[in-house]
Amino acid sequence: MFNALKKKLFGESNESKETAKSRLHFVLVQDRTGLTNEEMAGFREEMVKVIEKYFVIDKEGFDIKYHRLADTTTLLINSPVIVRRSGSASKPSRVTDSEPENDTDTETAAVASNV
Amino acid sequence: MNTRRDNAGKKDLGEVIVITSGKGGVGKTTTTASLGAALALRGQRVLVVDADIGLRNLDMMLGLENRIVFNVVDVAKKICKPAQAIIKSKKSNNLYLLPASQTDDKDVVDEAEVRYVLEQFRREFHYILVDSPAGIEQGFRNACAGAESAIVVTTPEVSAIRDADRVVGLLSSKGIESKLIINRIDFEMVRRGDMLSVRDVQDILGIEILGVVERDDQIISAANCGEPVVYNQKSKAGQAFTRIAARVCGEQVPVPTFDSGSFWSRISRKLGVNA
Repeated sequence: MFNALKKKLFGESNESKETAKSRLHFVLVQDRTGLTNEEMAGFREEMVKVIEKYFVIDKEGFDIKYHRLADTTTLLINSPVIVRRSGSASKPSRVTDSEPENDTDTETAAVASNV
Repeated sequence: MNTRRDNAGKKDLGEVIVITSGKGGVGKTTTTASLGAALALRGQRVLVVDADIGLRNLDMMLGLENRIVFNVVDVAKKICKPAQAIIKSKKSNNLYLLPASQTDDKDVVDEAEVRYVLEQFRREFHYILVDSPAGIEQGFRNACAGAESAIVVTTPEVSAIRDADRVVGLLSSKGIESKLIINRIDFEMVRRGDMLSVRDVQDILGIEILGVVERDDQIISAANCGEPVVYNQKSKAGQAFTRIAARVCGEQVPVPTFDSGSFWSRISRKLGVNA
């Protein structure tokens, strides 16, 4: 919420470190996984498909991180879930209401693997 | 890096720490010299080893360039006795240098030879700091041979961080744990949002931070004179390396982060109000 307010007050962030962060984030996922851009995009697309089979998600907030801990490397797939798909037609209203930024529960799927 | 001395029953062998970075010019050699001097000031017996064969510089940082007779290659090839190759620092009876050879190639020694060299000194020193060359080739592999842990030096810049990440991965695959020193941070630039903060760098690299060293002109003048910056306790960098030495010895000293702070402090800053 504060971030949204800040953006309204001051426009988009002009801090160069934010650019640095997103560029590093991008390049390190490639360096660490050894996947090419296309492969990474493919992986992302397929992950979204799998999760969408069971949940309605906010694709904008979908994010893949590659975390290195002391002795394991963890693939962290962060997907904001708007509503659970329960087979039957259940509460579809929630899917369309308001901004997902404020109104979504965030579920985190984490896959740990020794790489 | 801090449990060895607790094992009183074990034979007391020095801890070998490699100081590396991937990228060149981020301050590995300065860090090795400064941390070595700071540990020596704490009463630890320290050997700093210049593993940058062909491009030696650690001797310059310690002001010992005129005293070199033998070097690490001579010890590896058994041309001299180990004790003949090490040089005592001018400033401390606890700090010694094992210089690199300036005339050989990086691949003149192999990893087994490096391990042999380090074994010759582990009984005499509490800490052996190995200054690695830049890069991830043979020189780097040699510097890591025999290291129990690593200090990865980076600056808060994209290229240095990317290379540090690569090195942390390589060290981890060798079973060597890395801790990070963020060198040359400028808290004013961090405040403006034009430099990655300590927290940002930690989030990106995901390893423990051993220390943060502010950009400090004193580093250049200390190098000019061949005196590690820790002897000048007015210097912020000197103070930082003193704190890092304490952490290496297992003391709990908080790492200053000066992070950009809360939303409200950022707003007041944008409005030009100094909070």
